[in-house]
Amino acid sequence: MVDIELKRERIVIRYKDKKWDWILEPRYWRNAILWTLVLLIFPAVCYFVSPGLINTMINANIYSAIAIPLGLMTIGTGRMNFGPNFYIGVGGYTAALLSIAYGWGPLMTLPFAIFTSIVSALVFSPLVIIARGLYYVLLTLLLPLVFLEVTFIYSDTFKGDTGLFGIVPLVDTGNAKINFLIVAYLSLTIMLVYLLAINKILKSRYGLIMATINDDEDVAHGIGVNINKVKIISFVAASGMIGIMGWFYAHYFSSFAGITYLPLTFMLKILLVMMIGGRAQIFGCVVGGYFVAFLETFLIRYLGPTQPIIFPVILMIFLFTLPEGLFGIWRKRRYREYLPTLHVRR
Amino acid sequence: MEMLVTYVQQVLIYGFVLGAIYLLISLGFSLICGVLRIFHLGYAYIFPVTVYCTWMFMKEFGWGLVSSMLGMVVIQFVLAWIIYIGIIKRYIEREEIQLTGLLLVALIVEQVANYFYPIQEAVYLSTTLKEGTVTIGSVVIPWQLLLGGIISLVMTGLFILFFLKTKEGMAVRAISQNIYTSEIVGINVEVLYVFIMMVVLLPVIIGMLLVAPIWNVEPGMGWLYQTTAILVAVLGGLGNIKGTILASFLIGLTHAVMCNILGEPRFMNLSALVLVMIILVIRPQGLARSESIW
Repeated sequence: MVDIELKRERIVIRYKDKKWDWILEPRYWRNAILWTLVLLIFPAVCYFVSPGLINTMINANIYSAIAIPLGLMTIGTGRMNFGPNFYIGVGGYTAALLSIAYGWGPLMTLPFAIFTSIVSALVFSPLVIIARGLYYVLLTLLLPLVFLEVTFIYSDTFKGDTGLFGIVPLVDTGNAKINFLIVAYLSLTIMLVYLLAINKILKSRYGLIMATINDDEDVAHGIGVNINKVKIISFVAASGMIGIMGWFYAHYFSSFAGITYLPLTFMLKILLVMMIGGRAQIFGCVVGGYFVAFLETFLIRYLGPTQPIIFPVILMIFLFTLPEGLFGIWRKRRYREYLPTLHVRR
Repeated sequence: MEMLVTYVQQVLIYGFVLGAIYLLISLGFSLICGVLRIFHLGYAYIFPVTVYCTWMFMKEFGWGLVSSMLGMVVIQFVLAWIIYIGIIKRYIEREEIQLTGLLLVALIVEQVANYFYPIQEAVYLSTTLKEGTVTIGSVVIPWQLLLGGIISLVMTGLFILFFLKTKEGMAVRAISQNIYTSEIVGINVEVLYVFIMMVVLLPVIIGMLLVAPIWNVEPGMGWLYQTTAILVAVLGGLGNIKGTILASFLIGLTHAVMCNILGEPRFMNLSALVLVMIILVIRPQGLARSESIW
């Protein structure tokens, strides 16, 4: 049956003709563990020192948890999606409408949010095969805007101008500070699960196939890869994961407004998290998420009304000056993993 | 029967006027797509710069309308040159950075406009050419919109003449077909790129000045106009002027039908988006082929 073998630097698990191995060497996991510990301790420290920072951390985790699947989608489909916020809208509105209509809690609405995100992604998945080059950019860019229009047109249902209110909160202990702390750990858990799962996928044989598609679709097709299947799976899975973050937003704020998440400005923020973090490298998305969220909070606190101008200016400087993003500064010394090349015109 | 005639008149006249204004808004975007072969996602910045720079010169420096507009045009040219050198040319091989950078430019311009002249400022440009309305058949239409439509056609005609009849226009068409061959025959591609970046500003500026007194003016207006420009450019076939003209009037007619026949102006944008998506599925290359600008 299952054969577990302990080798010098790894554990090898065999089942029939399948094999999984888990690397034990500290140099491979030490930094990851250390950073995870820092992230785990951070909310607890903030709880006593500066509770406001917990909210910033939650935002950072959400940005990262949207950017990480977007990175997977970018590599797996071999092209950049300029409208990931469409799936935030789908997941968020599903959760919000169900919660308001039936009084359902987050656990009840979650499967429906995932389901609708996946179904809508399946409906639009032919785009990754049919639409090429700038047309793909345009269509993905327009999808959230179409959805936004729909929320305005059917304002009775979606409350396009004001948003939906009265959604059952994610956590309700009766103490706002403790609620924040629990939500912070929940967001961190989701982000870490996404990070670990997608890291595992990208390092697997399947990840190698995705990288091949990203680098050259024709070559991937030539060596027998079913590129359409891989592209659709990457697109749908990543969209489902992004949809979960829409669900999270809806229950976290107990309200959901398309006007917040569907316009270009929110999409641009997510795109910058991915680009400034590390150009679609998934660990870079975490760096980018934390950088963008904390920079935004810092500037709001110290610059006041000039923050909306200075914030994009700083992001632009970072975008232009860091060829591999913030994560690339550290990564330059450790060139091991696959560095994705981002494609727009394909 | 009389009702039907009225509806047809309304759709045709408003379709023409709206289409003509969309043509002014979109012509520049389409030409950038056709000649530079890039997707100028920062195109939205041109609209607030047109209105707010003119307003700035008038309000802060006390200049007259004409001199303020000239000052604004100079600023537009300088900005276009900086964007070309700093982003488009520099990141021509890294489109993900180029597109994100261009989007950021539009966002920064919007925020700057919002900081100095928020929506409560009630910015108003007195660029009305003729006050009042005109009645054509049974349709009443503002003079400003009608004149805007006529100016748009004249402007487009001049552009077409330029591209068809002048040496420089032919050079631009050559670049749009093949850059390397154009360089071999001695065309200075770099200079023409900068020239196109600047010349495409003219229809947008004229269009914006024409609609500023009658349409909503606010710092974020550029995104809406950019969406229209993208829709028209893609529907027409990226970069093709014939296609752009056709697509502008098609979208204008769609909007006119939504407003005047169905009586649902809320569906204007959605109907245009759906129309583009349907046509893209049937003709992925758009209405006209996009290998050349004409």
